[in-house]
Amino acid sequence: MSLRFTKLALGAALGSLFSGALLASDLVITFDDLNPDKKAAYEAAVDAFKKANPDINVVANNGDREAHKDTIRNALQNDAPDVITWYPGNRMGPFVDAGLFMDISDLWSSDPNLSSKFNAIKPTMSRDGKQWGVPYSYYQWGVYYRKDIYDKLELSEPSNWAELLGNCDTLKEAGVTPFTIGTQYLWTAAGVFDYLNLRTNGYDVHNDLTAGKIKYTDPRIRDTFAKWEEMLDRCSFVSTHATMDWQAAISPFAKGDAAMYVMGNFSVGQYKDAGLTDDQIDFFQFPEITPGVPRAEEAPADAFFIPANAKNVENAKKFLAFIATPEIQGDWNKAIGQLPPNSDAEINTDDKFIVEGMATLSTAAGLAQFYDRDAPAAMAKAGMEGFQKFMLDPSTLDEVLEGLDKVQAEVY
Amino acid sequence: MFPKPIKSYSSKAQLAYKFALPIALFLWLLPLLAIFMTSIRPVSDIATGNVFGVPSSFQLIQNYSEVFAKTDALRYLINTLLIALPTMVLSVGLACLTGYALAVYKFRWALPLFFLFVAGNFVPFQILMLPVVGISVKLEIINTVPGLVMFHAAFQTGFCTLFMRNFIKALPFELIESARLEGVGEFQIFWHLVLPLVKPAIAALCVLIFTFIWNDFFWATVLIQEDSSLPITVGVRTLNGEFVQQWHLISAASLLAATPPVLMFFIMQKHFIAGLTLGATKG
Repeated sequence: MSLRFTKLALGAALGSLFSGALLASDLVITFDDLNPDKKAAYEAAVDAFKKANPDINVVANNGDREAHKDTIRNALQNDAPDVITWYPGNRMGPFVDAGLFMDISDLWSSDPNLSSKFNAIKPTMSRDGKQWGVPYSYYQWGVYYRKDIYDKLELSEPSNWAELLGNCDTLKEAGVTPFTIGTQYLWTAAGVFDYLNLRTNGYDVHNDLTAGKIKYTDPRIRDTFAKWEEMLDRCSFVSTHATMDWQAAISPFAKGDAAMYVMGNFSVGQYKDAGLTDDQIDFFQFPEITPGVPRAEEAPADAFFIPANAKNVENAKKFLAFIATPEIQGDWNKAIGQLPPNSDAEINTDDKFIVEGMATLSTAAGLAQFYDRDAPAAMAKAGMEGFQKFMLDPSTLDEVLEGLDKVQAEVY
Repeated sequence: MFPKPIKSYSSKAQLAYKFALPIALFLWLLPLLAIFMTSIRPVSDIATGNVFGVPSSFQLIQNYSEVFAKTDALRYLINTLLIALPTMVLSVGLACLTGYALAVYKFRWALPLFFLFVAGNFVPFQILMLPVVGISVKLEIINTVPGLVMFHAAFQTGFCTLFMRNFIKALPFELIESARLEGVGEFQIFWHLVLPLVKPAIAALCVLIFTFIWNDFFWATVLIQEDSSLPITVGVRTLNGEFVQQWHLISAASLLAATPPVLMFFIMQKHFIAGLTLGATKG
């Protein structure tokens, strides 16, 4: 009984008392998703690893995602597992800078998969020129649109800003609101902002802004907001957006009252649940705004890291290398309907959104992790509230930007 | 008797009562009704915005069985039972003993001790969170059902003691005295005389504690992260994806989670009402 307690307590990662009880051939993994599909995919990968490494005693823990965000710092400091899940990009920055994650650049340079099949996401996994984790999944963002409405109005997928605005004019003339969005929980507005900023100014400005190196009143950010104002004006969004969450905002899209949605690929299942078929919906990459700016994309990734205090580092590296193999990456992401960061991994070719997503992300010049993951939590909250306020009333722009500068000065 | 029986009111008042009661009942149950309607809706209704209207098709069995297929709802329910029942037995059992001691024996520390039990009830759980987590980590009982039971029992015993002590105090003391004169042993008095007399109180307390523990979300979240030990209140959350909320399934699971305490109440209803009003007319 007491041995079982010990293992369970280790999984909780809340104390530091019995770490010595572990033998050398153990591997303790902490995962953070209890959602049925995600959990099953994780367990399948762990089982495959156990089969391939019968000599390693694997203790696989799993917990609630939101609770994990609160407990991870404690876990890394006091009772570190050997492998733990977290987010790459700026979100891993605090733990890297505090020395709580292990530098695994050696694995990235020696492993056949990591060294050559993860080029698109490598910058996202890097900080200070070193690599810190191995991603197991990500997904694309972009514009989902009603193909049947586009066809009826003889529109085609826009490849630049002018074409998008032209499409919007035609849609409005036909009585269709160009974009749907639900900003009740704010982050959807951040998706639009990120894309406008990535297309207007590029990946580096996105990173500098979320890292606090550029002010919100910077002329480049003002350019982004000018484009947003143009979008609000010519491509209006559904008027009740502040009262809907992103799922409720699907309703006007499904009814044909709105034709486009800037969203992540997790939304496709919901369109189909709302009765839309593959023939009615399609995807295009957010169009170019400033010619010549390399195309960066939003692609929030989930990754495994090795805590600096891990006890079984060799086993942990073995596990990370295992996770990076095309077979595991393919199976895992087929099961959860997302994309494998390993470019050799097999994808579900029956799903046109997955096929387009793979093409979009593997050729992107940079992969952003989304505004609220890249910026610190306090900044992200204030920023997204500002975005919503601006969307409801663009004349508040100066007030919003100056307010954000103040928050920025306090947060960083 | 309070409240005054409705039959003793004027016929107009009775009519108004009969008219108002169903309306009040309907309003009172409206949120529950809305949850039930959501739980039998197909997902397409929710996605297209038909949230309050008539469902386009009725998926009672399909949605509820999907809850069991998609999550470990059955295990979560069993875990909750494994937490609620032992806690109920432990805290009510202990409270009978402490209540008897504090009510019957006259010793110097009886009153301060009693106040200590009562005072414990005024400490908000939230400020105890960190010490409790610390203790459970040291005792190696974090993430386990028995660990959670121990803390629940410790917290609930104070309230139960207050309840039991006052009930036993309200019994005629002559009963106990005469039993003593007859030479009955103290434990025999407790077992054969006092316990049968406070049965309604015990039943009421059992229902109350069972419901408290069944509905507990706070301690379960704090003390248990391990999937295999989660109770149903926390387990329902696993249906929430990072992005997608499956409202029809969440509603179904929530109703499933809420049903047992309601059933328990109906089964024990007689005792419960008797327990609540017992002693109310004393004075």
